[in-house]
Amino acid sequence: MAEASPILSLKSVRKMFGAHAAVDSIDLDIAEGEFFTIVGPSGSGKTTMLRMLAGMDTPTSGDILLRGERINDLPANKRPTCMVFQSLALFPHRTVGQNIEFPLKIRGEVPESRKARALQLMDLLRLPQSYYAKNVLKCSGGERQRVALARALAYDPQILFFDEPLSAIDYKLRKTLEKELKDIHRETKKTFVYITHSLEEAMVMSDRIGVMRAGKLVQVGTPHQIYSAPNTRFVSEFVGDVNVLPVSLDTDGRLHSRLTGARLKPPPVPEGFSEGHLVIRPEFLRFLAKAADADNAVSGRLYNEYVLGSRIQYQVRVGEGVFAVEKLRQQAFTGKLDDDVIIGWDAKDAILVTD
Amino acid sequence: METRGQRFRHSLVTVWTLAVLVFLYLPTICITLASLTASRYFQFPINKWGLDWWQKTFSSIEIRQLLSTSITIALCVTAIAVTIAFFGALAFARYEWKGRSIYQKLILLPIFFPQSVLGLALLLWFNTLGFSLSWQTAVFAHLVWIIPVVTLVISIQVYSFDPALEEAAFDLGATRWQVLKEVTLPVLFPGLFSGALFAFLLSWGNFPLSLFTTGADTTVPEYLYAKMVAGYTPGVPVLGTVSTVGAAILLIGGYGAILAMRRAKAVE
Repeated sequence: MAEASPILSLKSVRKMFGAHAAVDSIDLDIAEGEFFTIVGPSGSGKTTMLRMLAGMDTPTSGDILLRGERINDLPANKRPTCMVFQSLALFPHRTVGQNIEFPLKIRGEVPESRKARALQLMDLLRLPQSYYAKNVLKCSGGERQRVALARALAYDPQILFFDEPLSAIDYKLRKTLEKELKDIHRETKKTFVYITHSLEEAMVMSDRIGVMRAGKLVQVGTPHQIYSAPNTRFVSEFVGDVNVLPVSLDTDGRLHSRLTGARLKPPPVPEGFSEGHLVIRPEFLRFLAKAADADNAVSGRLYNEYVLGSRIQYQVRVGEGVFAVEKLRQQAFTGKLDDDVIIGWDAKDAILVTD
Repeated sequence: METRGQRFRHSLVTVWTLAVLVFLYLPTICITLASLTASRYFQFPINKWGLDWWQKTFSSIEIRQLLSTSITIALCVTAIAVTIAFFGALAFARYEWKGRSIYQKLILLPIFFPQSVLGLALLLWFNTLGFSLSWQTAVFAHLVWIIPVVTLVISIQVYSFDPALEEAAFDLGATRWQVLKEVTLPVLFPGLFSGALFAFLLSWGNFPLSLFTTGADTTVPEYLYAKMVAGYTPGVPVLGTVSTVGAAILLIGGYGAILAMRRAKAVE
């Protein structure tokens, strides 16, 4: 992460729709050259937030500062920022070249220099030069993404905003485009602010991630911090499959599982913790020969298994509860369905969260 | 290979299609035939064929005057209706605003008024307000009925318009005016074009509104009606044919122009 002075600062930014706060008192600094992603489920206010940053909405209260200048009321066409839309918003009556040149035409550049710049950007985004005169509607999904990005880059913005541009793309292409986008970020050295509902997508690309829920930023951190130290159950579940046990802290310092009644050895307990949830990622659970082989163990029945490419996930039923256990495929578990199994984890691999 | 049953079904469909076409177009063809008589009166079948009435009609100054009045009205209606209906359609289909749903219903209401009643009502108002009737008052009367129709036609195109296009253009530095000129108008152009065709043709063929509101001026449909009631000559079917074929050429030409534009784009 680049530790420069913030290019974009939000000071208690709030957006009200009637009595409902779509974005609720957000404070955030985004560093120069950073790839920052805002993640949240639909309705969490992330789109409203991005629209305020891009100048298509104005905050009800609070300030948005660009390099220290207040830009709350600066309209989108006067801001040195640019957005790639969810629908991409390519102009259907224009060719690929005309789309990319649009901001240059608006700025009054002469056709020759416009074309030169457009071809240069097409080169950067690996679009064949022959596409210059192609109708945008004839381009494939991935090509359209590149045209939209080229058009935004032609504007030469200080910050590029992305409103879930990859959400309508199929999985395989999306994975390719995510990496491509991160490469473009390196090559252009611009500040990227991206929003998505997929934390998986955010992890691949971002320097830092902000997780949003009900208009508030719940946690801001590097992908590694978000993955390994989620501060709430909400964030931990957002990352993917996790095992969440409701627990309370007993007077002897052990945890009492309200689901299975088991008494568990806790990870470091936060100050003032009395009850909450214990989060264990499936890859930290393992099958045990005997209960004493790990700090904590529970016994259950192997109910099903799912092949997830390089990993295999096992569903283990423990009383009323269900645990997910993941192993690499090369180290697949040899047990059969309906076998009685013991699963366990070490105390340090679990995370305690309060809500 | 088609089976016998399939072939039978296909031939039924063909026969039915032909029957519908004959039903729709035979009357129009008969009008054309009626104009090709050398006789002074309306007779069927025609004993003596001739183009005399075509020649007489086209050399008549009265007819030229009629055509020029009808075309002037239709062109004025087209220009004004498309301009107003464009903004009306944006309010209809593009923007969310309080009262939009009432507006959507109110604007469609004039389409369902009986046109003769609407014509009479307008006549009364023109008199009350002291306007002398002429082709200009007819333009206004046509607009009352045609603007709603054209608004609907353009709205269909507006509904398929992605508002993000305007936002994107604005975000890329365009002013409001540039957004309109570079994005909104060109993208909506097919809708505006078909709206204009509708406006022209509906005005061109309108009788009931013109009847009440043209005053001393006369349009083609009014003249045809008057001549049918009293003083028929084969000039009536001649003018009828010209009017119909003219409208058809405009429509087919317009459709062809849109197709050609699409094809030109597809080639790129």
